[in-house]
Amino acid sequence: MAMIEQVGGFTVQGMENLGRFARFCGRGAVCSVSALFRPRTWPLIWSQMHMIGVHSVPVIMITGAFVGMVLAIQAYDQLAGMGLQERLGVLINIAVVKELGPVLAAVMLAGRVGGALTAELGTMNVTEQISAVESMGVDPVRYLVAPRLLACVILTPLLIIYADFMGIAGGYLVSVVQLKINSAAYLEFSAQATELWDLTTGALKGVFFGGAMAIISCYKGFTCKEGAQGVGQACTEAFVGSFVTILAINFFYAVLVKSLYTTFWPIRQLF
Amino acid sequence: MRRDVSQDDGIIVVQNVTKRFGDQLVLDNVSLAVEKGKTTVIIGRSGCGKTVLMKHMIVLERPTEGQVFFKGERIDHLPSRDLAEIRRHYGFCFQMGALFDSLTVFENIIFPIQQKQRITDWTAMSKLVKSKLAMVGMDGFQFQFPANLSGGQQKRVALARAIALNPEVILYDEPTTGLDPVRSDIINELILKLKNELAVTSVVVTHDMKSAYKIADRIIMFHEGRILADGDAEHIRSHPNPIVQEFINGQVSEAELAAIRLGGTCFEAQFDPQDFQPTGSGH
Repeated sequence: MAMIEQVGGFTVQGMENLGRFARFCGRGAVCSVSALFRPRTWPLIWSQMHMIGVHSVPVIMITGAFVGMVLAIQAYDQLAGMGLQERLGVLINIAVVKELGPVLAAVMLAGRVGGALTAELGTMNVTEQISAVESMGVDPVRYLVAPRLLACVILTPLLIIYADFMGIAGGYLVSVVQLKINSAAYLEFSAQATELWDLTTGALKGVFFGGAMAIISCYKGFTCKEGAQGVGQACTEAFVGSFVTILAINFFYAVLVKSLYTTFWPIRQLF
Repeated sequence: MRRDVSQDDGIIVVQNVTKRFGDQLVLDNVSLAVEKGKTTVIIGRSGCGKTVLMKHMIVLERPTEGQVFFKGERIDHLPSRDLAEIRRHYGFCFQMGALFDSLTVFENIIFPIQQKQRITDWTAMSKLVKSKLAMVGMDGFQFQFPANLSGGQQKRVALARAIALNPEVILYDEPTTGLDPVRSDIINELILKLKNELAVTSVVVTHDMKSAYKIADRIIMFHEGRILADGDAEHIRSHPNPIVQEFINGQVSEAELAAIRLGGTCFEAQFDPQDFQPTGSGH
């Protein structure tokens, strides 16, 4: 009996938390859309974009570059064994543009930006600053969450483009300079295989990744328990939650994009 | 102690409010009417639910059962958008100040105004901030960040922010906690000054009896989620209930005293640093 009671208790608790999170997401989305049309909130969005976006550029570029470089090193032997080393760029660029660039950039952002968002809002929660916002007749979701959510949604795709660019550049440099692959052939094959569709759908994932990461991090900050341990735990949960959600979104997005692609272009030549 | 109140008995009326956090009962069928223009002080031990009660008055917490009224209108069930309008009649002074640490003192004070309307006349705004800060004796600190201020200064700035929109009601959550006696008295004087000059209604949660006697028109003793005593300072001083007497005189009860004495200080195993020091070269 006790076990059934416990299972029931966990289920009710889980559903309650899910409901609270869903309401928070809904409120965040509504406030974000209305914030877009309220010039008074633009400076807040702008300053968040500066903190979230501009400061993330170096780390995103470094991540992208290393991803491209390591792909070149790892894939070279297999392709060279079949005499296909000049097609190394196809593999690198498709992998970077479609999957590794967006996912690793988003994971990097979840660590850098998501952690900071949770810690900031969590500390504000613990020191009653969020209650203070509320007590002054200001909706804390509109004032605190909407600018952060919008900044993440707008900037994650742009940061992914930076990661893609550096991944492509890194892969090219290692392939041509270190692995001595013919530059013209490398570029020719790469250009043939990578389509605008791949680049666009890859970067557009960022909208969902950024949105999920921002809303999870803000929610964890808003609901964090008191004390330094509470804030620390919220940050950990926010990162793990964002990471898993990014991977899950990535999977379902891939399924959707694939089915869309096959609907529009039933046959695709790889190279 | 229970007394029935009607929604028009005061500017803020809490009617039969019960609040539970999970299984924990924090407020147990509390009814209370806060009179307009008076200072009502809520006293009680830490954790007895007095701050939770005050948060119900501005609907930062919603009751599990019961109702809350502001100027005769029920507010506890309102959606946040409507509550925002009601909350502009309140000023809330949080225990630790709750100043926004990313904003300067000036920006903190204009925050509630800025959220209400677009500021175009910055000269007037800077005069307003100056006057609010002068009222709490903090003029000249406009461009400091809260982190650079002492605890007492932060509380005074928080007070200046709370009065930025000329509220009708100011709620103070333990305004003198953590301050030395002189700074505590400065806060008390400020509360009296705001009451006299701005004719605001004040609700103060505290366990500082010196402060309570000085500022209160009415003192309410809260214990285990219920109102135990309610009256002016004289009524509370002469209240027959031993719990009230123990609290206002700062004495522990006989039972607690006995527990401390019986507990003793001689334990079977006592930590002695010498036991952990090496006694010879071979160890």
